[in-house]
Amino acid sequence: MRLRDAARVIRSKNAGPTQVTIDLMFDDPKLFQRALAAASLKPEVIAQRYGVAEAEVIPYPAANAIKIVLPRRVIAGSPGDTDVYGAQQHRPMIDVEI
Amino acid sequence: MTYVSNFQRVMDKWRAERGPLRIMSASGQLGYGVIEAAFKAGLERDLHLIGADMGSVDPGPYYLGAGKLATARRSTKRDIKMLLVGALSKRVPLVIGSAGTGGGNAHLDQTLEIVREIAREEGLRFRLATIRSEMPRDLIKQQAKAGKIMSIGPIPDLTEAEIDGASCIVGQAGTEAFVRAIDLMPDVIIAGRACDTGIYTCLPEKLGFPMGPALQMAKIIECASLACEGGGRDSMLGTLEGDSFVLESMNPARRATPMSVAAHGLYEQADPLSVAEPEGVLYLQDSKFEAVDDRRCRVSGGRWVPTTQYSVKIEGATRVGARAIMVAGSADPVFIEKADIIAGLVEAQIRELVPPNPEKPYTLYFRFYGLGVVGGQPVTTLPEEVGVMVECIGEDEDEARAVAATAKQYLLHAPFPGRISTAGNLGFPFTPPELTAGDAYRFSVYHIMQVDALAPLFPVALEEVG
Repeated sequence: MRLRDAARVIRSKNAGPTQVTIDLMFDDPKLFQRALAAASLKPEVIAQRYGVAEAEVIPYPAANAIKIVLPRRVIAGSPGDTDVYGAQQHRPMIDVEI
Repeated sequence: MTYVSNFQRVMDKWRAERGPLRIMSASGQLGYGVIEAAFKAGLERDLHLIGADMGSVDPGPYYLGAGKLATARRSTKRDIKMLLVGALSKRVPLVIGSAGTGGGNAHLDQTLEIVREIAREEGLRFRLATIRSEMPRDLIKQQAKAGKIMSIGPIPDLTEAEIDGASCIVGQAGTEAFVRAIDLMPDVIIAGRACDTGIYTCLPEKLGFPMGPALQMAKIIECASLACEGGGRDSMLGTLEGDSFVLESMNPARRATPMSVAAHGLYEQADPLSVAEPEGVLYLQDSKFEAVDDRRCRVSGGRWVPTTQYSVKIEGATRVGARAIMVAGSADPVFIEKADIIAGLVEAQIRELVPPNPEKPYTLYFRFYGLGVVGGQPVTTLPEEVGVMVECIGEDEDEARAVAATAKQYLLHAPFPGRISTAGNLGFPFTPPELTAGDAYRFSVYHIMQVDALAPLFPVALEEVG
């Protein structure tokens, strides 16, 4: 099952200019648990997918949600950035298999 | 007759009644257009405080560095006028934080100038307290040397040269600074850079409400109705009951549900379970969200742990040069297939025609939109069209523009193997397609600075307006 078929929301946004955070929100608690257990959502797999040194994966059961925190490759708005708000960094997660 | 300020009035009233505290967030982004219907509806709710946040680091380093507002002056003036006139007419205190986007002195002063202009035009008279948030450079250097400054995320440690080189460095004022401003007994408080929470926590703190729920409420309402189902920018009412609070959008169509409010805890936060403030940390592990009815939600559980070591989040921007860009598009399949190779050829040509200063070479970026620029994901099938943007950051505008203009001419006419469209490679939406974009900045400071005392960093002052 692809993440886009399981999650209601797949979004990204800056958490300050040095980090980007990706939120995955699920309507169905079972799909939330399934995504949480998926090998594709292990921190090291996500870090590799985004080409960064590390990723943090934080479950947030209160909203059936998973938060991913990544260091930005370019600090927001510095020369070479292509997404100042970090609002379009969710794309690599959309088709991930869970 | 002694003057009773609006802060004095609501505090006296609350002390006589001892009920819940009704605090309205008018806007999370003052200057982008406060929705009038919801704001006006909220004014009828016998409020104790109206607040609005005006700034952020989200729009990038330019505004902080250049001392400019991200919002248009006329939109900013419209919003501030609505809040000022509304708050003063109901004798409710008004608190605005992070004035003028960046919250530096230039941003605060431009905001105050708009405020005084509105007062003149509308015949308003009031007592205005201000909080300044620019950080003293010698203190930053001293704390850096003492190892009391920590990077937030992947940003280098602060050096003395970096501290001197920044165009502007601000710190986020917390509840403490707003409380000192209340002590001046104003009608209106306008702060430079500040924690968005302090706007809403100062009055609860002053009246002795528990800080955990007050701060948790502040953290949610500072985004106005964003915590409602499907989001929203309408004014949001927070009714602080003590150990709990109730959220209600001032747009009757917006619903704050337990799920929408819980989910909002994720928004723009690296850690959804704790919020660091200058005076302590808010822990949200034990949060409870329950429906009051189908559009109001009661929240409790925020736990406040004060600290003995104060810390301030500091933000700074440094000029890196002047920016010029060139915009165009291409629908030629051979050009699209070979875009990267062509960019390499054109770049070599540009560097020959506009020789970079070896001491400080300009930077040049070719961006082919449609070929995987935005999302960092390789494109598997080539698109029918691509957008083309060339960006140069040079030492000055003249250099950047020369590079962008040369890029335009040579990208338009670049020969490449297999070329079939020999009259031109690009379509321009207008001319000149090369545009200067002012100075370019980078965030050079995004750190936590430990300090012994907060008050000296955020001076407050009182002014009679009108």
